[in-house]
Amino acid sequence: MRIFDPHIHMTSRTTDDYEAMAAAGIVAIVEPAFWLGQPRTTVGSFVDYFNSLVGWERFRASQFGIRHFCTMGLNPKESNNPRLTDEVLALLPRFLDKDGVVAIGEIGFDDQTDAEERSFARQVELARDFNLPVLIHTPHRDKKQGTIRSIEVIRSVGFPEERVLIDHNNEETLPIVLASRCWAGHTIYPNTKMDEQRMAALVQKYGSDRIVVNSAADWGISDPLKVPKTIAVMRAHGVPDATIQKIVWDNPVAFFAQSGRLDLTDIDTCAAVDRSQKFETNSVLRGEQVGR
Amino acid sequence: MLLLSVVRARAGDAAADWAGRAAATESVDAFCNAYTAAPKHVGRAPLALAESELSHLMAAAPDLRCDRWTVDDAARAVLLLSAAQRNDAKGAEAFVRLAIECYERGDAREQQSWLRAISLLPQPDRFTAVAVDACRTNIIPLFEAIACENPYPARHFPERQFNQLVLKALFNSIALARVVGLSTRVNPDLSRMARDYAAERRAAARPVPSDIAMAMIDDARQELTR
Ligand SMILES: [Zn+2]
Repeated sequence: MRIFDPHIHMTSRTTDDYEAMAAAGIVAIVEPAFWLGQPRTTVGSFVDYFNSLVGWERFRASQFGIRHFCTMGLNPKESNNPRLTDEVLALLPRFLDKDGVVAIGEIGFDDQTDAEERSFARQVELARDFNLPVLIHTPHRDKKQGTIRSIEVIRSVGFPEERVLIDHNNEETLPIVLASRCWAGHTIYPNTKMDEQRMAALVQKYGSDRIVVNSAADWGISDPLKVPKTIAVMRAHGVPDATIQKIVWDNPVAFFAQSGRLDLTDIDTCAAVDRSQKFETNSVLRGEQVGR
Repeated sequence: MLLLSVVRARAGDAAADWAGRAAATESVDAFCNAYTAAPKHVGRAPLALAESELSHLMAAAPDLRCDRWTVDDAARAVLLLSAAQRNDAKGAEAFVRLAIECYERGDAREQQSWLRAISLLPQPDRFTAVAVDACRTNIIPLFEAIACENPYPARHFPERQFNQLVLKALFNSIALARVVGLSTRVNPDLSRMARDYAAERRAAARPVPSDIAMAMIDDARQELTR
């Protein structure tokens, strides 16, 4: 079964991860722009980060036969820095028309401040101007309220809900999202957010329409193989393969295809890749390994 | 200054004299470099205040808790307090700029020292934006430096930011007893957030923090036990 991980921060992961992901059947991923743990203090840090998402990281993925797409945006946490917000939002249009940019995101709420809401709404307007879908991060704290407020922001901008993916859902927020026309993402984490068993139970209760799962693996405790591991648990719970395929492939493809930039041509024939291919002058292979 | 004598008693005269000299500099760079270098001069041992020192400190700063302070925390507080006295005489703006610069240049450990001491600075509400922003860190010891054993949030945070701090403490399994002045700041919105968090944990078949009722007003507590 072909697998799509629609939310994973590969910038923080190793080539071992890429290798294991490819071996597990992951052939396409979306890397949302997010924060890096250490707060950035100047807009120049974002220029380089955004460039790496459409440049070096995409190349790194391609060397393992994985198609890399990304979303661009200013995350909610760093939206609390007003000067940075103005500068990064002014920078974003430069990146929004680039190949492989399939949404604006992840945007939304963290502390649920007014500054976060302004940045969120302005970026939803950008998504409308650039005809892109939107990926929304829901907060760890006061999550239910944050989810309700996120949908309110989308509605206040008049943005089409079927072009919105609301992520990191749990038992409390999923019914709220499904009651809208937005899509619902689920992050399978080792300790927090959602786990494989609970996810299988949610699928048995709510079905597969507009439902997506991801690993959201990043620099914290997380696991880039959580989507294939969730597939195994769903199978063990008797979820039919057709349902599983809809969740781990058809749905994320349908959602991000709304950008018009989800190029999956030749996805089945690209797995055998030539790793000696160079990106500018760098290769993920160090000189001595080229013969591998 | 009380804290200077505390540093002197632990690190010796040479180290205390260094702190006095370092605090007198007019240069922002020299000040921030001294702030960084404090452990090199005074060490990093636990402060372990004696009974008499503690009572003096409590008289000056009643709800400050220094149990987790180290000697370099105290030396850094001396630097900031001396700069405040000197610069506030010339104009408050200069001190605010210096203090914020010192925070922004700091590594996580320096920022912890800074946050532990801010309730002692004159007109501490000038630093609320920095303290609120500090809560956004994922570096737990840094978050604890502002959220725990520190009277600053209960005194100066707006309600919404205070509530976020309490939820973040719960989320990170930090005992709410460590949040100074929590009982004076509980409010209906915080109660609702705590109740929602308990519901979310139960729906996920995960344990609810046993001290969550501390974040609730009385009505909500009764509901929790029903
Ligand atoms: Zn993410």
